[in-house]
Amino acid sequence: MELSDLLSNLSLGFSVAAKPLNLVWCLMGALIGTAIGVLPGVGPVATMALLLPTTYYLPPEGALIMLAGIYYGAQYGGSTTAILINLPGESSSVVTVLDGYQMARQGRAGAALAIAAIGSFFAGCVATVAIAVAAPPLTQLAQQFGPADYCSLMVLGLVFAIVLARGSVMKALAMVFLGMLLGLVGTDVNTGNLRFTFGISDLFDGIGFVPLVMGLFGMAEIMANMTNEERRDLVTSRVTGLLPTWADIKASTAPILRGTALGGLLGILPGGGAVLASFSAYTLEKKLSRTPERFGRGAIEGVAAPEAANNAAAQTSFIPMLTLGIPSNAVMAMMIGGMMIHGIVPGPQVMQDRPGLFWGMIASMWFGNLMLIVLNLPMIGLWTRMLLVPYRLLSIAILFFCCIGVYSLNNSANEVLFIAIFGLLGYLFFKLDCEPAPLLLGFILGPLLEVYMRRAMLLSRGDAMVFLTRPLSAAFLGLAVVLLVIVVLPNIRKAREVAFVE
Amino acid sequence: MKRRTLLGVGAGVAAAAIVRHGTARAQVQNYPDKPVKLILPYAPGGATDMIGRPWADKLSQAFGQQFVIENRGGAGGLIGTEAAAKSPPDGYTLFLAPSAALTVLPLLRKTPYDPVKSFAPIARAGDLVCGFVLNPAVGPKNFQETLAYAKANPGKLAYGSAGLATASQLRLEMLKYRTQTDILHVPYRGSADALNDLLPNNVQMMNEINVLPHVKAGKLILLNINYPTRHWDFPDVPTLTELGYPDSDVPIWYSFQAPAGTPPAIIEKLNLKMNEIAATDDMKVKARMINVVIPPQTPEQMTQHLLADIKATDVLIKAANVKLE
Repeated sequence: MELSDLLSNLSLGFSVAAKPLNLVWCLMGALIGTAIGVLPGVGPVATMALLLPTTYYLPPEGALIMLAGIYYGAQYGGSTTAILINLPGESSSVVTVLDGYQMARQGRAGAALAIAAIGSFFAGCVATVAIAVAAPPLTQLAQQFGPADYCSLMVLGLVFAIVLARGSVMKALAMVFLGMLLGLVGTDVNTGNLRFTFGISDLFDGIGFVPLVMGLFGMAEIMANMTNEERRDLVTSRVTGLLPTWADIKASTAPILRGTALGGLLGILPGGGAVLASFSAYTLEKKLSRTPERFGRGAIEGVAAPEAANNAAAQTSFIPMLTLGIPSNAVMAMMIGGMMIHGIVPGPQVMQDRPGLFWGMIASMWFGNLMLIVLNLPMIGLWTRMLLVPYRLLSIAILFFCCIGVYSLNNSANEVLFIAIFGLLGYLFFKLDCEPAPLLLGFILGPLLEVYMRRAMLLSRGDAMVFLTRPLSAAFLGLAVVLLVIVVLPNIRKAREVAFVE
Repeated sequence: MKRRTLLGVGAGVAAAAIVRHGTARAQVQNYPDKPVKLILPYAPGGATDMIGRPWADKLSQAFGQQFVIENRGGAGGLIGTEAAAKSPPDGYTLFLAPSAALTVLPLLRKTPYDPVKSFAPIARAGDLVCGFVLNPAVGPKNFQETLAYAKANPGKLAYGSAGLATASQLRLEMLKYRTQTDILHVPYRGSADALNDLLPNNVQMMNEINVLPHVKAGKLILLNINYPTRHWDFPDVPTLTELGYPDSDVPIWYSFQAPAGTPPAIIEKLNLKMNEIAATDDMKVKARMINVVIPPQTPEQMTQHLLADIKATDVLIKAANVKLE
């Protein structure tokens, strides 16, 4: 694209997005998004479905600007609960929990929230420019991925999941496999067989991610805090400073940059893009760090990188939707619904037929991100004060919102029961000192791995060599092997040393 | 004496019936006097949702009461359909039924509802108009050339469907059966996933409405139309019947249904209003935009239509040996 074209497109976009009424819709979206992001369980999909009928009465630009705002607003809000109460609001904020919550317990919730917001803002700005400059070539890049390549990427992702773990590799491995097993529940895509559903129709589509997370993280954390007098006070030391120190910002700069790049690239991939983005960013930081032992104990890099990555990914996941009309996740499917309501058929022609809408929406993302950081930074003081609410009251509120949130997903009472079951399981894991994060990643990536692997085998007519002959796939598999060796070798050595000592 | 008692009882029953009829008539006259719930058996954002939203809007305007969409997705439509079948038959819960939930699902799975006995048909909500598309990288330019290619290269073409036991799979099975060709079926989780593999030619064929914008952009070739009439945007593309394959469409149609036992007068009232809405220019334009046409039908015609489609689907499923588990 010519530079002058780009500039004229962007100026068209900004002129649309800066119309006072569109700014209002953008602010509305960002506000609603932040609110639902903070409320555990209530996600952007349910909210957008609820608001879709009202967008009938808005002009198409305003409607889409607001819907988009809800999505990235939720990314900001989601990190708030992850950091403050150990509850990831979205699948992409699972890793934020690891160090964010530890920082909060050490009284550094303000710094963690601020870095999350700053990282998200930076990533959002960069990703907006990336969509404007490189949407078509990035689409081309995503199209290079065949089923075999996705399969190998998932293998690599699962190896990442093991690196994530704080304690023993064996336990992490077990949790990844348990997660994959839980992911098997439901209807098999290739044969239609029902697996482990016990005739419960709520399980035909598999176990829901939200009840699983609410149980394993939310419920289990509450039980752990209730049974342990020392843990009950959320903040173990005094709340120090609401804003990050210079040292914090210095330590976070490089992770934010790397997280943005990684998130922006992985975000274009359908399915697990945003999730893969956030925890590969975390893994990368842990591997690059000179003090990897700090991760999982409140390392600010462990908040900065994945938060930048998930916001960048949230934004670039608009690319396949805008250029091809292909939704890469449920939220993008809702966006397509929003376009169809206004008579805009999503697809490659939107960019030519409705340039005002296309570029206006992209420009609005920048305004939205700006509004979000302006909104969020002053709010930090308020959020951290929430930690001072007596835990016996706070815990009931958390449970209450979890149940409402899960029920709002599918209007299913069974799924509310699932929270209780996974809560018990999560408490067991807590007692056994097993980390639930690798389980969640296995749960998300395992089914994707299976689907892509079987699809690749079907398309290669049963020839398994396809995983090695496709360059992308071979590269991912090679990287996975290298990573696995790096992780396993020191453990083997350690085990030997222990054996020799005995 | 006995006779008189009987007469008396008879009169009593008749009187009760009249009273009931009277209140029923009052109910119908005032219907709807509170919001009406419209159950959709899929998650928001898909084709069913696209059809349901303009309908809900038009019905709300026409009746002066809100028609509220409730998405009850899951289990390939099973959960929402069951919920609709078990709702009170008072006219305040309606069901937007995709044909597959009534024809395909009950033939392949044990369903907690009966497609004919559990529901009372109200009106046709719309038929999808689309056809087979081919990735141009393969070579053939039209339907005949594609058939010749498939015959010369058995098993080489791969077709992406929206999933097992969906209408899009059955369309492939019908094509294979009628033309005696060997095309590989690759099931996806929804049509968006399949399109994602069709554009880079990982699979070569599809039959879903989300491909049509790409046909307009020249990225895919539309080979035919699986509908009795051609698609208004592609007047040069022939229908299957015109190509010499009658009764091979595997229609994808949507209907409004009420739980069985809903007062017939309410159904009649809804049927008239719905057919009226379908005939308006505004609704026609809205429907065409989502590749839908809405043929008006009476409830009786719909029952016949459903029975015929169930029979045809059964024949196809047995001939093509389609199975779940």
